Amino acid sequence: MLFALILVPFFASVLVAAVGVRRPRVAPWLAGLAALACCALLAVAAPAVFSGAVLRSAVPWFAGVDVALRMDGLAFTFALLVCAIGALVVLYAAYYLSPDDPPGRFFASLLAFMGAMLGVVLAGDLIVLVVFWELTSVTSFLLIGFWKHRADARQGARMALAITGGGGLCLLAGVLLIGHIVGSYDLDRVLAAGDLIRAHPAYVPALVLVLLGAFTKSAQFPFHFWLPHAMAAPTPVSAYLHSATMVKAGVFLLARLYPALGMSEPWFYLVGTTGLVTMVLGAAVALFQQDLKGLLAYSTISQLGLITLLFGLDSRLAVVAGVFHLLNHAAFKASLFMAAGIIDHEAGSRDMRQLNGLWKTMPITGTLAIVACGAMAGVPLLNGFLSKEMFFAETLFVESHRAIEWVVPVAATVAGLFGVAYSLRFIHDVFFNGEPVGLPRTPHEPPRWMRAPVEVLVVVCVVVGVLPTLAIGPLLAVAAGGALGGPLPEYSLALWHGFNRPLLMSALATAGGVALYFGLQRWIDLHSVTRLPVGGKHLFDAALGGLQRLADAATRVLPFGSLPRMLVWLLLAVLFAAGWHGVVPPLAAPPLRVPALGPDDAALAEIAIVVWTLAIATAIAATVTYRQRFTALIFVGVTGLMVSLVFVLLSAPDLALTQLLVEVVTVMLMMVVLHFLPQSAPAEPSPWRKWRDAAIAAAAGLGVTGIVYAVLTRPLSSISPFYLARALPEGGGTNTVNVIIVDFRGFDTLGEIAVLGIAALIVHALLGRFRVPAGYLTGTATPDWNPLLVRTVAQSLLPLAALVAAYLFLRGHNLPGGGFAAGLVFAAAIVVTRVAGPVTGSGPMSTAYPSVIGAGLLVACATGLGSAWFGHPFLTSTFAHPVLPIIGELPLASAALFDLGVFLAVVGATLLALLVPGLLADPPADAAGPGATP
Amino acid sequence: MTHALLPVLPEAVLLAAACTVLLLDLFLPPSRRHWSFWLTQATLLACAAITVATAELQPLHAFGGLVVDDMLSDFLKLLSCVAVSTMLFYSRGYLAVRGLFRGEVLVLTMLALLGMMVMISAASFLTLYLGLELLALCLYSMVAMHRTSNAASEAAMKYFVLGALASGMLLYGMSMVYGATGSLDIHRIARVIHAGQGNGTVLLFGLVFVVSGIAFKLGAVPYHMWVPDVYHGAPTAVTLLIGTAPKLAAFALTLRLLGVALAGLEFDWQGMLIVLSLLSMVLGNVTAIAQTNIKRMLAYSTIANMGFMLLGFLAANLAGYSAAMFYVVAYVLTSLASFGVVMLLAREGFEADRIEDFRGLNQRSPWWAFIMLLVMFSLAGVPPTLGFYAKFAVIEAAVGAGFIWLAVAAVLASLVGAFYYLRVVKVMYFEDAVDTTPIVARGDNRALLSANGLALLLFGILPQPLMGLCVVALAQSGFL
Repeated sequence: MLFALILVPFFASVLVAAVGVRRPRVAPWLAGLAALACCALLAVAAPAVFSGAVLRSAVPWFAGVDVALRMDGLAFTFALLVCAIGALVVLYAAYYLSPDDPPGRFFASLLAFMGAMLGVVLAGDLIVLVVFWELTSVTSFLLIGFWKHRADARQGARMALAITGGGGLCLLAGVLLIGHIVGSYDLDRVLAAGDLIRAHPAYVPALVLVLLGAFTKSAQFPFHFWLPHAMAAPTPVSAYLHSATMVKAGVFLLARLYPALGMSEPWFYLVGTTGLVTMVLGAAVALFQQDLKGLLAYSTISQLGLITLLFGLDSRLAVVAGVFHLLNHAAFKASLFMAAGIIDHEAGSRDMRQLNGLWKTMPITGTLAIVACGAMAGVPLLNGFLSKEMFFAETLFVESHRAIEWVVPVAATVAGLFGVAYSLRFIHDVFFNGEPVGLPRTPHEPPRWMRAPVEVLVVVCVVVGVLPTLAIGPLLAVAAGGALGGPLPEYSLALWHGFNRPLLMSALATAGGVALYFGLQRWIDLHSVTRLPVGGKHLFDAALGGLQRLADAATRVLPFGSLPRMLVWLLLAVLFAAGWHGVVPPLAAPPLRVPALGPDDAALAEIAIVVWTLAIATAIAATVTYRQRFTALIFVGVTGLMVSLVFVLLSAPDLALTQLLVEVVTVMLMMVVLHFLPQSAPAEPSPWRKWRDAAIAAAAGLGVTGIVYAVLTRPLSSISPFYLARALPEGGGTNTVNVIIVDFRGFDTLGEIAVLGIAALIVHALLGRFRVPAGYLTGTATPDWNPLLVRTVAQSLLPLAALVAAYLFLRGHNLPGGGFAAGLVFAAAIVVTRVAGPVTGSGPMSTAYPSVIGAGLLVACATGLGSAWFGHPFLTSTFAHPVLPIIGELPLASAALFDLGVFLAVVGATLLALLVPGLLADPPADAAGPGATP
Repeated sequence: MTHALLPVLPEAVLLAAACTVLLLDLFLPPSRRHWSFWLTQATLLACAAITVATAELQPLHAFGGLVVDDMLSDFLKLLSCVAVSTMLFYSRGYLAVRGLFRGEVLVLTMLALLGMMVMISAASFLTLYLGLELLALCLYSMVAMHRTSNAASEAAMKYFVLGALASGMLLYGMSMVYGATGSLDIHRIARVIHAGQGNGTVLLFGLVFVVSGIAFKLGAVPYHMWVPDVYHGAPTAVTLLIGTAPKLAAFALTLRLLGVALAGLEFDWQGMLIVLSLLSMVLGNVTAIAQTNIKRMLAYSTIANMGFMLLGFLAANLAGYSAAMFYVVAYVLTSLASFGVVMLLAREGFEADRIEDFRGLNQRSPWWAFIMLLVMFSLAGVPPTLGFYAKFAVIEAAVGAGFIWLAVAAVLASLVGAFYYLRVVKVMYFEDAVDTTPIVARGDNRALLSANGLALLLFGILPQPLMGLCVVALAQSGFL
């Protein structure tokens, strides 16, 4: 049944939205029916609740969270408030909306809000509560912004959502903390765990977060400013959301969580102070409003402050008084809002400077408004009087510091005084005080049924005021019982308690209020007050502006836009992280191992110093001469050669050989490419940038040095012994590097030569059909394009190189060499021959290279698949050492065949990469060759 | 043999189909291009079906431990297939109008998906890296696809250079971990570290570089600089691809690297992730406010969202991982819809990528405005949309692991975030339409986008099945 209670409004909302477009007249009927249905459901539940039972129902939902609903007295009372006032508001709105307004959207949003609000009050689980809480913010956003053509409505809607939605997020965080403390989000368990929560170190953060949620929703200072701006909403919305229900969600939350979070020092100070300040401030500001709804909004803020203060007073009796006032306020404030709406509707203005003397034209509405205002001011025989008396009484029982004991009742009286004054202003300014000033319409009484909801509510005010025990006694008892979660304190709802101090305070407030209003009327023109210094709006705007400026600044400074700066940022971030986590602690610790030099090392050390010096010097030279690209390239080449020498020194001949060859081929490739680029690099725009880049480079270099140092001085277990031990017995070769390449990690190598082939093919695809226009390479063509000497030497070089390649290839498995090195040697020799040879447009030749690459890949794959033939996994290798005549023992391994594939692929790829760009220099067919041009 | 290949059957099918489409498309006249499209869609469907059909509760290792087929990988692969398929449906019209609807797009998308799937089921650094690079290379070229657009070329260039650098870092880190532990297999690495046999310093260096690489791939601050430019510069269809399925793969990468292989260094990487998460959430959300371009705004929102994902992740337990996974799934679903709507509004010569282009969308089409509203609410974390539960789950995980202040910071960051998402809502609902061109789209696109948007609401109201799947997938895959 509890689920039905929540689902009815939501379903009705969807239905109304669907139907409302076609049949606008049906929408209010459907909405009203839904509200009444909810009331009926509540009536069914009433006997159980009044007998003290707590209705529960739950369905599993989300890891560890149930959609739990729970109806105790407090929830029932609130649900009744939501449904009953909802029904009245629907009736009222049916007359209020103009024909231009889409009723479908309005009633759908209103019903969705009603469902959400019912969800908040009936939630049996804190997460469910937060969910519905946010939903009320969202639906209220839609309702405030209902008149979307109005700028103030849009701004008000957005502000309300920003404040209350943000508060909802804080509430979520608070709820999560509570759940963390209690171990459950279930309301029953949370309410029972009050002592546990209060003793927990996370209690204060949790409390603050929950209170932020409650205060934003209930428009407490300093978050109160959204409520006056929300008055841009249609008046039924203001009556429903911004007086009777949604803003009450905050104080409802205080009541709901009072057993879990209340009864502590932080609660008293936080809740009490906020309530006190809001109450006095709101009341004072309300008096100086010109807008009728503005006055009601600030009075709502003040009254909510009063209720908050009551909960903050932290006595059980104060909680009862708080719940009581909450109900009373809902009745009289909703009726006042509706009355204000009627006035606005029939007179065309809400400005109290224009509205005067309406008594003559609207006597019935006037009477109703006067009674409701009386309730607001706390006039005896009306409901507001009773709860206000209780409030005054409670302020006198505060037990705390002397100053506080004194301040609270005084503040209460002052707020009461202002309350009387603004109530009086409402009555006097609107219904009396002369004649109307320039009203757009001639005021008259509203339709019969539009006034009916106001009449109902005013009757409630009077009945409760006259016969409190009968009319509201049982409901208040169950509601307060639900809020306190325990036995009720002694209280009496009687009208007359004798002459006591609360009565005195009441009298003071009433007399003072009347005096204040008429005094102010006389001394200053209340109508001329248009600007008030109070209001958080400018704070809100300032905060938003600050956020926007911060965002702009962050956009300007942070994402950089330029690639070099992004790279710098990336590098520095990594270096910082690495430095923080890795370098700083190890460097701070003493080095564990200093590499010691043996006698052999000492001899080598001198050579090493020379080699390193040369390497560093050429690297610096390359940096300095970087603008002359060819010069710099030669220096880079020398650095590379020095590095290969370093490998020799470190007993890695294979690596040295490969490095040497790669270096040669790379320099050749770059020579070819540089041909097409300007000969010198552009200058740096400013010396500052140069120094900045130098600093970054130095930082990066030092960072890497630090890492290397840190790693080298730690004990390091290397995997080299593993391969050294297994190369010969398992791979059949003594050259461990080669065995690793072609055998142990043959799969990797296969992948690598495939990548090499693909890269070469891409070069082919991109540049194959491209020719440099004639005349582009001016200055490079000279008569000794191909001197005879070079040509002759190159021709004899080829067979020699082929022999070396074959030698390197064959010995590769045992001694430095291998397919990769052999391929590079062979390819380099061919390139030299081609470059030295007569230049002819030799397109067809280039198409042969892809075939060579393909052949290499095929050979490699076939070798791998060969092992499958013998039932072994792909690329399993085998070896034999047959003894041949003349040559002697020949180490043969299947891996050598694989190496052949590597050889072919390397030759093909290198030639393709080097020669295809070289061909670009070829003269077009119709132009004279460079050799012929003088 | 067949059984041994079963775990990689979806990948194999995908690869074969990608090659087929590549060849087929060469011979198809442009008017028959839809054949390639439907073949691609059929392949994706087949991959998804095979993934579901071969799903097993127990993890299955193949290729000598290079790949693993567990519930986690099945779940993420399935979602990746769905996301990529949806992306293709959304982008079809957009690409066709711009002359980009060619076979290359389909092939590159499939290969990117292949990369993701390899990443998702990788059990070794080698496969992990292989998948990552395959994915990245496809994305680089797809960003550059719109060759006449300067912004796209610039974005591709930046993405490529930075991405290559980040991959290098990741590889550097991986090789250090390899050097310290002597293995590339993530489970063996975990065992070595657990037994305390790894070299501490080298491991820690390796970890720093690995985390840097991961952070780059996720786009977490301070490794986020590529995200806005790439999201903005790339054609929206490609942005959609980048912003969705790869996030699932990136999550898998993070989980396999940090959650499995380097689980023993939990306390070290937790500290790093806290910084990354906090910076991402704050900076992403704050900077997003200043954006006027919705693609850029969503890029910053991605950054912030990845911060939230890391928030769940750094709890380093089942609750945290499943919350992070749920977050990623929710994010992918939301992101699909957001870019889907942007592409829906785009037409020839008009990108609809500025926030003001959404002005008065409610007047032009209340339905699409509503879908976009759901998307924005989900991103902002407003209940009852999916985004709320995602945020709730990660924050709860962080609180559960004792990171209370981080959780509070996360809430404040999402408060800032709500601001700019709601600005889009305000523009759509409360401002008058300047552009009144009717919105045209194919029927399948409309249906799918509507379903996608409503799914945000549906899964928001009933998140348990999705959350349950996340938990079960992780629990069955050994994260207990």
